[in-house]
Amino acid sequence: MSVEKPVVSLADLCSRYEGLLVPDERQGFEGYLISPDHLISFCRSLRDDVGYDYLSSVTGVDNFPAEQMEVVYHFYRTTGGPSFNLKLQVSRHNPVVPSLVPLYPGADFQEREAWDLLGIRFEGHPDLRRIMMWEGFEGFPLRKDWREPFFEDEAKPFKSRWPDGQVIRSEDQNPYKNNVRYPNDFDPEQWTPVGDDALYKGMLNLSQNIQSEFKTDQIVVNLGPQHPSTHGVFRMVVVLEGETVLSLKPVMGYLHRNHEKIGERNTFLQNMPFTDRLDYISSMSNNFGYALAVEKLMGIRPPERAEYIRVMMAELTRFLNHIFSIGFLLNDLGAFFTPALYAIEERELILDVFEAVSGSRMMCNYFRFGGVARDLPDGVLEKIKELVNDRLPRKLEEFERYLTKNDLVRIRCEGVGVLSPEEAIALSAAGPILRASGVPYDVRRADPYSIYDRFDFDVAYGLHGDIYDRYLVRVEEMRQSLRILKQVVRDIPEGPIMSGKPQYQARVPPGEAYGRVEGPKGELGFYVVSNGKPNPWRYHVRAPSFINLTSLATMAKNQKIADVVAILGSIDIVLGEVDR
Amino acid sequence: MDGAMILEWVIKSIFLILVMTGGFAYVTLYERKVLARIQVRIGPNRAGPFGVLQPVADGIKLIFKEELVPAKADKLIFTLAPVLTVIPALIITAVVPWGTEVTLFGRTIKLYLADINIAVLYLMAVTSISIYGIALAGWSSNNKYATLGGLRATAQMISYELALGFAMIVPVMMAGSMSLVDIVESQKPVWFVFVQPLAFLIYFIAALAEINRSPFDMPEAEQELTAGYHTEYSGMKFALFFMAEYIKMIAISMIGSSLFLGGYRGPFVDQLPALGPLYLFIKVAIVLFVIIWIRATLPRIRYDRLMQFGWKVLFPLALLNVFVTGVVLILVGG
Repeated sequence: MSVEKPVVSLADLCSRYEGLLVPDERQGFEGYLISPDHLISFCRSLRDDVGYDYLSSVTGVDNFPAEQMEVVYHFYRTTGGPSFNLKLQVSRHNPVVPSLVPLYPGADFQEREAWDLLGIRFEGHPDLRRIMMWEGFEGFPLRKDWREPFFEDEAKPFKSRWPDGQVIRSEDQNPYKNNVRYPNDFDPEQWTPVGDDALYKGMLNLSQNIQSEFKTDQIVVNLGPQHPSTHGVFRMVVVLEGETVLSLKPVMGYLHRNHEKIGERNTFLQNMPFTDRLDYISSMSNNFGYALAVEKLMGIRPPERAEYIRVMMAELTRFLNHIFSIGFLLNDLGAFFTPALYAIEERELILDVFEAVSGSRMMCNYFRFGGVARDLPDGVLEKIKELVNDRLPRKLEEFERYLTKNDLVRIRCEGVGVLSPEEAIALSAAGPILRASGVPYDVRRADPYSIYDRFDFDVAYGLHGDIYDRYLVRVEEMRQSLRILKQVVRDIPEGPIMSGKPQYQARVPPGEAYGRVEGPKGELGFYVVSNGKPNPWRYHVRAPSFINLTSLATMAKNQKIADVVAILGSIDIVLGEVDR
Repeated sequence: MDGAMILEWVIKSIFLILVMTGGFAYVTLYERKVLARIQVRIGPNRAGPFGVLQPVADGIKLIFKEELVPAKADKLIFTLAPVLTVIPALIITAVVPWGTEVTLFGRTIKLYLADINIAVLYLMAVTSISIYGIALAGWSSNNKYATLGGLRATAQMISYELALGFAMIVPVMMAGSMSLVDIVESQKPVWFVFVQPLAFLIYFIAALAEINRSPFDMPEAEQELTAGYHTEYSGMKFALFFMAEYIKMIAISMIGSSLFLGGYRGPFVDQLPALGPLYLFIKVAIVLFVIIWIRATLPRIRYDRLMQFGWKVLFPLALLNVFVTGVVLILVGG
């Protein structure tokens, strides 16, 4: 990766935009406000001159009763360092902002999501369609005045159930079919989906002007939503010429449950178990990210022992996620479940540890604001020591011996699905995808959180950006995780596991916070805005596997159809997180 | 040709078909058990002791399943295709000898259905027919995955048929006859696999491709094409495809054993001819095990590379092997 020295500093740039760029001076908020007219030119200088080349997150905040909506951007440097937050304030009636897709193509899906859920129109976006909801859906569900069909109350705990406990369910009072609001001329019985035909036509037109000596027809194939290797209900619309992929568009949202809306109804603590359901393979990391964001708002830090336990759990999660994803990558390559089942065997052992500490194997719900829920039970530390020092390194070597030099694996993976470092950064790819492309950007190093600055570890990165490098990066990361874990089990101190006493209701002062961790799948961020009430005002998840999918179309272009499946496997998506 | 002889043929044919269909059922169990062991699992063990009734349970389930025919499918061909696939698979082993002769009820019975002098040609011809079933199944289901699967199958089988044919010619040259009985008998001193290891390897690889087994299971590549040509099939029609695939597995193992591994030959088989079928059975079981083992361990090769491998490596190699064998045979004066 070429590191160019920024020609101007951030302060220079800010002073150049004196008057147009206003610091956000609300209590607990940081960053700058800018007017939509200057966004593009400012961001161009920000990217090209100052070096904030990585657009981590784009989202919106609805400031209902106030007639105003905010668009929030988080920029980072891939060379490391803290974020630069930029905000736009627009009218709620007609929120129009310029699209950043021409500058940062990684904003593509995130802007579509903001349009879909909040109704913010991004002028200049090449393909501004709904992404989670269906085409023709009425309203923008994340707006504060939008109410779900079984609406009960603005915020939990619902008054009908607490404190008196007389449960009245809104589905009884408001039975099915009376609860839904349709636009006036809409008849659900007569409605036919319209979005897809336009999508197919557009894709065929795009790929039509290809010269070939034969007259051939291109076909549109829908890989998914029911398909064995999309890892869930995910659809790839593929235009094929023979077996070669000419263009590809991912279609998602089949598992959409408006996680963020539910998260805004929940109290802060109720969201902790809810984050488990995002990436259900690695719930501990999700907990970690959310706990960090809220702790930033509350201004507390967990005690030493809790920090060590957290890092331990996060690294075990990384190991199990990577070994699982490698196993299933091989499955996507056509190996009949053997590598996957070998991987699952190791995963089970780690899940045993999770069960011992948290009581649950997958939905751990283990972290709390200012610590963790319980201390390690007797014997668990010995078990982890045994795993980390003996069993897991041995099994990792075994995996490597069978797979890394395997000719069939290399033939299928080398040079397939290549993503150049420039593309990877531009498309906001994160985690192993970004690092395999040769950008050694790891949040644990670039912007250390928790106690990661104390441990020795290397950031694994690849040079070619193909599937094989992503595999190698994952293997190396597992090894580095074990290295961190060895230091953790050596150094873990005795002591309390919570700062303050455990509480059912977190008191969160007003403000905003963006907590991000290096999750196994990439940068997992939680953008939380509090207005001092028991419920978050805005709860946004920067889901790594959702944003990594932005680069799928680039990687899959001109590859064979068999490779598309492997490429998708190498991105390592979990649909619970993609669709939220 | 007396009536008893015709009766004998009929009985032998029925016996052969029953053995093949029963064998199919138990090869599925065998495969599941072996796969499970390789994958640190236990495998089916609920239906009957050690799961021996599992194939029966599977069969009953498939019979009672609803048969779906896609709305825009070509119904006649859609129904015909599985039949067209399964019949060649059933008749292919007619020429494979199970042993020499045994005496039952005072009658000398030859342990093979037909000893025709063009047996190897017959094998080649019959294996080619089954492609039609697969291609038609893919085409008639009016499904893109199925069409792609059917096309892949056709291209793949045609490419590998050549290498397969050349590999099968080698034992014919060594034995000087196309009859499988003669070929097996001429392996009395030494099995052909020791004289012609390359031909056996080519035969084995090409045969795997021919019957669409891993790592050449392109036409039904689950990860890409859901189930390939039989995506739209359900119930008994699906079972027929399934049956064809497994019977072809047995057939390929039997033919391979006969051509290269000495067929029914083994120690004391001349003194005790009834040992013949047992030896053949053991050899088939070993070859089947290798096929299953490969399925459990190898990832799939990509389609275009598979074709390259077939045309650029396997085919020239097979041709060269035939040429060298011919030259050596003439020089030695065979």
